[in-house]
Amino acid sequence: MDLVVFFIASVCAIASAIAVVAQKNPFVSALALLANLASLAALMLLLEAQFVAAAQIIVYAGAVMVMFLFVIAYVGPRGEIGPGARKPWLVALSVVAALLITVEIIVVVVGASLGEVASVDGDYGSPAAIGKALVTHYLLAFEVVSVILFMAAIAGVVFGAGGRPVRLSTDQVLAKEGESAVARRREASRAALEAARDSTTGESAR
Amino acid sequence: MVDGVILTIIKSLVLASVLMGFFAYMTWVERKLIGRFQARYGPNRVGPYGLMQPIADLGKMLQKENMIPEMAHRKLYIAAPFIAMTCAIGAFGLMPFGNVATIPGTDWTIHLYIANTSVSLLVVAAIGSLGFYGLMIGGWASSSKYALLGGMRAIAQLVSYEVAFTLAVIGVIIQASSLSFVTISNAQEHLWYIIPQFLGFLVFFVAAVAESNRPPFDLTEADGEVVAGYHTEYGGMRYAMFAAAEFINAITLSALGAVLFLGGPSGPFLPGPIWMILKIGAFLFVLIWIRATLPRVRFDQLMKIGWKVLLPVATLNLLLTAVAVVYL
Repeated sequence: MDLVVFFIASVCAIASAIAVVAQKNPFVSALALLANLASLAALMLLLEAQFVAAAQIIVYAGAVMVMFLFVIAYVGPRGEIGPGARKPWLVALSVVAALLITVEIIVVVVGASLGEVASVDGDYGSPAAIGKALVTHYLLAFEVVSVILFMAAIAGVVFGAGGRPVRLSTDQVLAKEGESAVARRREASRAALEAARDSTTGESAR
Repeated sequence: MVDGVILTIIKSLVLASVLMGFFAYMTWVERKLIGRFQARYGPNRVGPYGLMQPIADLGKMLQKENMIPEMAHRKLYIAAPFIAMTCAIGAFGLMPFGNVATIPGTDWTIHLYIANTSVSLLVVAAIGSLGFYGLMIGGWASSSKYALLGGMRAIAQLVSYEVAFTLAVIGVIIQASSLSFVTISNAQEHLWYIIPQFLGFLVFFVAAVAESNRPPFDLTEADGEVVAGYHTEYGGMRYAMFAAAEFINAITLSALGAVLFLGGPSGPFLPGPIWMILKIGAFLFVLIWIRATLPRVRFDQLMKIGWKVLLPVATLNLLLTAVAVVYL
């Protein structure tokens, strides 16, 4: 049973990883990455890491990839890459990067003793065990990462606002400038609308 | 899998069928209740009390043409409703309906839940978050601006409210010190968590209404703004699958509320599954009641409620719970 799940998940992981780079459509590419993350979560389940598997789906699939897709969907309707967009130096660089990663994997796999099956106790990989490890043994790293993430969030807000004035909602305009300001704005937009209508009817009459 | 592979498959099939039947008749209940709230009868033509209405609706949906917009991304357009539906049913699968039951007349015992893991709650959250992709893919693959905007709105709303939702649920997790539904519902034998976790319950409930895209938070399908949202370009059975996924999500969230705050399947006199259905029904009734009562909020109001009201309240509840658990 475990072996069957392992092979299905591995095949899915490899196939979706190839699809990520082979697909021309960025939206489909991102979906393939999502499938890859889900297959990895299945592999983690086989390694008794239920919490990490669930967290992988919630964090990567549920939050990170949503943002990827959000951006891709907004950027263009069908931003497909044609054959002309492939630059030779990029191809060369990607081959070098792939070779380096392959060498690294080989070194790690050969260097590690993968001969025997590791034995784990029943509590291994449970949320309680991971929580305990995070706030005792890895407390410093945990706190440092949380500070870094917090800084990243603030940086995101600052860059996202970009120094532009924030557009106010009707409620906020009301609170700030009173009824007359809202009425003035409404009047202005009505005038603009009427001007637009006049110009179109004028054209059709001609 | 607590009962072996074959029994688990049988239990899953039974649960999925019961869930679909329950969903079909909840649509009847909803239309009937909305009718009554608005001083009219609701469906009353097909069968006695309009009881055959869901079946008539299904028949109508099945007869519709399965059209695909010319500019749509065909594969994703077809896949999207299936993703939404699969995730909706899958998330419901971990709900407990009791502990161990003996089948009458024999000495066979079965567990009234399909699986019990130490991360049940996270798994439901994970499957639920995969369900978002159904809406997003559907919105994008339709190649329609309204559908895309509806899908984007859905994602923005779901991601925002998931934060407050999760924080509200963490209060319960801390108090029960478990993520397993069975342990959480057993821990409420003497006192339902709605009492010590009332603040968390309020946040949970508001966030659950938003998460299930139901009025007054149904911005994703605000007819005056984005036509029908992400399923604008869908018709017939594919549309019905999106609608079903949405309603089943509401049922799952109601079940989650029943397990986390109302003691799950425990209760006097009646067996566990009955109690569970009654509690889910109570949640759904309130959801329908709200739908009939409140007007839809604006998008900026929606975001304001999520980030400026629910999130601080949920954080406060989390802090209070943590202090209480450690020092009391």
